[in-house]
Amino acid sequence: MKPLTFLTILATALALPAHAQHSHGAGVAAPAAPEGRPAGRGGMREWTRQPILIGRPAKDDRAAAGITARGLVASGVTVFAADGPTERRKRDFPNGPEGTSIDAVAPKTGNYHWVIAREESPDTVKVASTAWYFGNPGDAPSDMLAQSKHELELVPAPLPREHRSYREAEKWRFLVRFNGQPLAAQTVALETEFGSRSTAITDANGIATIVFPRDFKPAPKVDGEGDDPRARGRFVLSTEKEDSGKRYLTAFNHSYTQDPERSRSLGWGAAFGILGMVAATPLLRRRQQTQGGKDHA
Amino acid sequence: MLKTLFPTLSRVRFVVQLAMLFLTVYGSVVVGTYAADKITGALPALSCAYDQANGAYCVLVPTQHQVHHRIGMAMVQAQQLTLNMVLPLLMVFLTFFAFFFVIGKAFCGWVCPLGTLQEWTGKIGRRFNVGVRRFEKGDLGEVRRVRPVKWILLLGLVFLLPLLTGLGVTPHSLGNPYCDICPSRIATTLLTGNTEELALRMNDGWKFGLGAAANVMIGFMLVGGLALRLPFCRICPLLAFNSVFQRLSPMRLAKPTRANCGSCHICTDACPMDIPEISAAEGHKAYNEDCTLCGRCVEYCPQDKVIEMKWGPLALFGSGREYYKAKVARELPDGTVKPLKFVRNAAKPGAADA
Repeated sequence: MKPLTFLTILATALALPAHAQHSHGAGVAAPAAPEGRPAGRGGMREWTRQPILIGRPAKDDRAAAGITARGLVASGVTVFAADGPTERRKRDFPNGPEGTSIDAVAPKTGNYHWVIAREESPDTVKVASTAWYFGNPGDAPSDMLAQSKHELELVPAPLPREHRSYREAEKWRFLVRFNGQPLAAQTVALETEFGSRSTAITDANGIATIVFPRDFKPAPKVDGEGDDPRARGRFVLSTEKEDSGKRYLTAFNHSYTQDPERSRSLGWGAAFGILGMVAATPLLRRRQQTQGGKDHA
Repeated sequence: MLKTLFPTLSRVRFVVQLAMLFLTVYGSVVVGTYAADKITGALPALSCAYDQANGAYCVLVPTQHQVHHRIGMAMVQAQQLTLNMVLPLLMVFLTFFAFFFVIGKAFCGWVCPLGTLQEWTGKIGRRFNVGVRRFEKGDLGEVRRVRPVKWILLLGLVFLLPLLTGLGVTPHSLGNPYCDICPSRIATTLLTGNTEELALRMNDGWKFGLGAAANVMIGFMLVGGLALRLPFCRICPLLAFNSVFQRLSPMRLAKPTRANCGSCHICTDACPMDIPEISAAEGHKAYNEDCTLCGRCVEYCPQDKVIEMKWGPLALFGSGREYYKAKVARELPDGTVKPLKFVRNAAKPGAADA
């Protein structure tokens, strides 16, 4: 157990300066944890007029989250799960005094949950939607995303996998559906909290390809922790359609992270790789004894 | 037909390794985008979660996460200890064991993409007439000296540092330290055309240091692997992890008695992990902690039925004199084969003067 004891002492000694400033709240997204959660960074400044859902992990419960709807008036949110008993795959959560509190629909209901809030008047239907990652085992979200949930829909195709997020300078595809059918030549607008604006048009299959702008402004550095390369910015995609005298506005908001190349160096990486190669070259010298010289016949 | 396609166990293993390399590196192309998130987070082989195209994840990923985020934090909060701490880790280990039970440590020798890449690097070395270097007296020293390293890496980087990080003792950057030094993370992401993991993080000293260590290892593996068989497997914490459970899987290497063993040591020569016990011992001791169940010792044992690969009572493959003769005619036990023609020509006496 000597190596273990040594490691313990070494790690403890090296880490002492970090102890005081290190804190973890249960449910807070961690470096290697799933990144699909909607942004929870910073204050609630208005960076968009589109309807959005702002999520925050519950303090002591990894299977719960708080949701606040902005840009529309809704009595609560509806949550769709990828797995679990059929009758529980769609649940309504009414507003509480501090917004809406949602939770994983049941154990083993899949990671991603689809969350929507809806405001309806005689001439307008506004829908805000987002995806929330609970970290449960269960089915993939493919069927959940394929299911038609309301009139005009803006659906990721696909959602980021575990250990991944939307990122600056990446292209991602989104499907626009109306009454369950792909909608061609439909305009989808992108807004980010850093002020970027762009639009994309859906193709014949209803797919809009969105290029995330390289506009990320990282949060101020915290001493000793380094810049968090996964710090998140918010974005919202929106699309509108008139049908039978009614206006439909649907938005999907989520978070994106900065281009990892901003804080990484391929040159240094290659240099250390070459160092390893150089260190291994003595192995390539032949031994003095004959190679494979034994008689195996 | 089958005999023509798969004349040897090595050929069967080559095809399995090829298929598994595809599944573990590009598997989502076949099984769907979200499959790796769903099939398993507890594969007993290095299948990297940083690879966005793969089909499953390595058990060391959730182990570090559970120790860091669940156990460490639960101990700090001293509440819901059983629910937060034991159950998630138990689920990871149960899922791991569900896979492991079937083929045991053959995950190392038949499935692990990093093992496959190292093995193929060694084959390239043989074709280019690079001599084999071995952990044995007279060359690189006894293999027993290397063995503790994998246990230190397992205990230190998979359990201890994530736990200390969860407790708030060590910095957040040390939450998944094994992944940070894992060469498979770099190798498999590079295979998908992604250089992100090769690049080092410049804004975090810990991440820079661990990443630099990983890059040195992958560089060492690529060049050193031309001469030294499976250089990283010898210190791989997943091999140590699998070793803990190796007696619990029906899949095993069996050498019940040395009665017919000629003590020729050819099986040890053939072993890519340079395990001396396979020739020097019998029973449980012959199935060593370093064994990856590749089956080469069985292929190269010249005695009938002395060494076998078994699943429970079933003998899947056993050694035999005739098989050995055919096998050794193609490839010597240490992997030496006929070098490529231009390498042979260059090596001929007087070729340099021509």
